[in-house]
Amino acid sequence: MKRLTYLACTLVVACMVAAMVGWSMAAGNFLVPVLAIPLGIIVVLACRAQVGTVMADEREMRIRSKAALRTLEVVVIGGAIAAIILYSFLVSIPLAPIITGKLFLNDDGTQSMTISEYRPGSVPGPQTLVRSTTIPDLNAMNESQALTYCTYVREGFSGNESRGLAGMTIGGILAVLLVTFGAFYLYYDKKY
Amino acid sequence: MKNRIRVLRAEREMTQEQLAELAGVTRNTIISMEKNKYCPSLKLAYRIAHIFGVGIDDIFTYEEEIDGPSGDDE
Repeated sequence: MKRLTYLACTLVVACMVAAMVGWSMAAGNFLVPVLAIPLGIIVVLACRAQVGTVMADEREMRIRSKAALRTLEVVVIGGAIAAIILYSFLVSIPLAPIITGKLFLNDDGTQSMTISEYRPGSVPGPQTLVRSTTIPDLNAMNESQALTYCTYVREGFSGNESRGLAGMTIGGILAVLLVTFGAFYLYYDKKY
Repeated sequence: MKNRIRVLRAEREMTQEQLAELAGVTRNTIISMEKNKYCPSLKLAYRIAHIFGVGIDDIFTYEEEIDGPSGDDE
């Protein structure tokens, strides 16, 4: 088998496996990817064994090593910056939305409260107002109104929470990458 | 690192494909070496010298200005 034929076979197998995995996700059948992916790998390896010419030599290995190292460097640096920026949404006060509550005394003697959300880091005012809601009678606040109030406050911070979570995820992935790289580095350092 | 692979190959009327097969590398590696873009390992250099039936010094020439102190092809 020639190199090009092998590459064509690999492409066909990859497409078939991707289609099967896609279908299984839609159908909710988790057994298909468990079987299809290893089967695809076996078929590709069997095709590779049939290739007569040299597939990878020392130059190819050196190129891959350098490419892998450069990828790691770029991903780690870029990822670290992204993780810090995203995580700062969770811990930085200036990036958090400003939520204020104002109490009003009504004519009938009851108290109402207006809760307003303003843009992060801005001076509260009509231009920076994102949204607001009013609880008509604060002392007679029922369960539904309390729930609305809690949801309101929680939603105000949900954007920051999701960004912070993404930052922590990226940070975690970077840590795993670096630990794996370090483990392999030590292994090959001892081996050679 | 400069080399005379192209000259030696032409003298023996050998194609890049044939040399690659004998050396156990890809044709791209031979092309890169002939263009002085890739510096082979000592093992491959000896293998190529053995194929041509010459000494390693007859094929490869080390040049300080090009290769630098480490000889790396960075």
